Amino acid sequence: MALSRTNWLALIGAVSSVAMLAGGAVGQDKITLTFANWASAEGTTRPGIEKVIVDFEAANPDIDIVSESISFSEIARQLVLRARSGNPPDVAQISGNDTILLASTGTLEPLDGYISDTLKANIKPGALSTLTVDGKLIAFPWNQSPAGLWYNKKIMETAGLDPNNPPQTIDELTVALEAIHASQPDVIPLGIDTTNRAFALTSNWPWMQTFGAIPVGADANDADSPEMKAYLTWLRDLAQKGLIDPGRKIGEFRPLAAQGNVAFHWDQVLLQGVMQGANGMSDEDFYNTWGVTTLPVGSEGKPHSFEGGHQLIMFGSSAQKEAAWSFIEYLATNAAAINDYTVSVNSSLPSIVSTGDAAVDAKLDTPIFNAFSTEIIPTLSAQPYGPDFAAASTAIMAGVQEAITGTQPIDEIAANIQQQLDK
Amino acid sequence: MTASDFMTTATPARRNAERKPWLDWMVVPTLVVLAVVVGYPIVYTLLLSTQDYNLLDFTPANFVGLDNYQTLFNDSIFWTSLRNTAVYSFGSVGISAFVGLALALLCENIGGRHSRLVRSLLLMPWAVPFVVVAFLFRYMYLQNGGIINAVLLWAGIIGEPVPWLNSASLAMPAVMVANIWAMTPFFFLLLSAALSGIPNEVIEAARVDRARTWSMIFFIKLPFLRNPLLISSLLMLIANFNDFAKIWAMTQGGPGYSTSTLVIYVYRLAFESFEFGYASAIGVIWLLLLLVFAVTYLRALRMG
Repeated sequence: MALSRTNWLALIGAVSSVAMLAGGAVGQDKITLTFANWASAEGTTRPGIEKVIVDFEAANPDIDIVSESISFSEIARQLVLRARSGNPPDVAQISGNDTILLASTGTLEPLDGYISDTLKANIKPGALSTLTVDGKLIAFPWNQSPAGLWYNKKIMETAGLDPNNPPQTIDELTVALEAIHASQPDVIPLGIDTTNRAFALTSNWPWMQTFGAIPVGADANDADSPEMKAYLTWLRDLAQKGLIDPGRKIGEFRPLAAQGNVAFHWDQVLLQGVMQGANGMSDEDFYNTWGVTTLPVGSEGKPHSFEGGHQLIMFGSSAQKEAAWSFIEYLATNAAAINDYTVSVNSSLPSIVSTGDAAVDAKLDTPIFNAFSTEIIPTLSAQPYGPDFAAASTAIMAGVQEAITGTQPIDEIAANIQQQLDK
Repeated sequence: MTASDFMTTATPARRNAERKPWLDWMVVPTLVVLAVVVGYPIVYTLLLSTQDYNLLDFTPANFVGLDNYQTLFNDSIFWTSLRNTAVYSFGSVGISAFVGLALALLCENIGGRHSRLVRSLLLMPWAVPFVVVAFLFRYMYLQNGGIINAVLLWAGIIGEPVPWLNSASLAMPAVMVANIWAMTPFFFLLLSAALSGIPNEVIEAARVDRARTWSMIFFIKLPFLRNPLLISSLLMLIANFNDFAKIWAMTQGGPGYSTSTLVIYVYRLAFESFEFGYASAIGVIWLLLLLVFAVTYLRALRMG
């Protein structure tokens, strides 16, 4: 039977409508999650995170991940503004003070209800406690990245120091820095972040604690204190002797360290991956050249460190919370994800005790990872994170910069910091 | 052509002049756009400046009247930032204008094929994006590995590397040098054009009167350059008052608060501490200062 032109058009229209409806139904079944992160914004970690996302999508064909690249220094600002305007992502990568800052907005989904007992038992001791605010778990620890004092054994040896006995006290460290500066003037004796930003205060906090200074927070002994003045005086002394290179961000020391131009560097566990990525050094050469130890002790008598690890948060407005949790759990606990991202490209430690994969667990059995796990992690100290910490960081780090670069009396600088904190 | 023809052509013109109200309606779309893109932000900033409004606090903002302004007048960082803004803006514009003027006078008589090359080279810094200028100078100023220290050490001018951007006393001059380098070509270009606009008769008359070089500059050329110099300086003052990229990329306002300008301070308050209420109060003062420059600029234009 021949169809007229009108009938043909009607048939085509009907078939198209059915196809569109079917397509729409399929589209509706697919869940799309937005994931704001800086891992895909940085060249060294982008391939790793992209592979993990592809693997997750393959294992969960009903979930699509839309990765939104935002730089580390911008992510907190953008997430606050997006939460405020009602369009936050489903999941985001976050770290340090920014995690607690975002929690203070009340827009984060508490994660306690999503964690199974089995998973809870596998999480490293203490990993959840710092992420619990008002009794609610506001973020899941993606990885652990504490800071340690890295030392270049070859530079120490050239300076006549014992490369197997790094300094254990502030006095020993000062002597070692002077010896290095005298023997190798082109080498930066100590790499320490003295920029004016919240992360710099996080990085400086363990050093301040070493001198007994706690400038802000519930246990604060104020910035205008003998302890804080001792810290500022020590830093000024180092700067005047050319033992530190002021004004550099922590990341700006890394390529110099990779070139063998930094003797001691206060940095996180990820430094190994960054340096080997930059200089192509083999593991064996790396362990022969670099070691890591705890922060030297000062008047307070015990070493301190800070947790620079990354966390994953879910926003309460997410329409797909179960899917979002699956993604968070996959990133932080899946053996392949830990292998392809956490260990391989981010050079950090997983937040779980066992990955369930002997090969991946074996990768974590290295001198550096072991030093962090056994010596440094036990020295982690909590910091008074929150909205006030960011505001305090500007005042405190401005004071640190004035002490290092100016001639104003230390007493005045400490008093000025306190005045700003009291505002 | 009769007189009536003139009448017929003159009448429509007068009729158009009488249609002023209709012409006023034509301006309404522009006014609406201006109200949305200029008026609304200004009014909203004024409102915010009277509130205790923190972006992290999702409860409604409290009305605090003039409290933010009271805090501002007792805030030493605000006054430091205001002073730094004045030093940075007036210093950079003053020196750039002077150098631009000197270069324009020097290049005035360069002719031939070298003229284009010299002018192109002098204009090049203007073509470099400001962020690139900032990073360029930041790396040149590095205490360890910076080319400026390397050259000065090699020449024996300094005995040890100078912490250009890490010294509370040197950071502001160092940032200003970068700014002056980037801004001088603007003055050079503008003043070169103004110089070429001086009537030949005036120059020739001065030569006939045996005016010497300096007399020619002070009594003939500078009076002609006064208006373009004033207008371009006011424009650049406004631009420098708002300059964020160069300072942020080079020092982030440090060390301490030594290079913190109003725009840097407002940025830190609004986007690091999320204190939008207080940041808005500073924004209002900043706006008032810019209005003073803008009014002066408009008057200068009218007088010119």
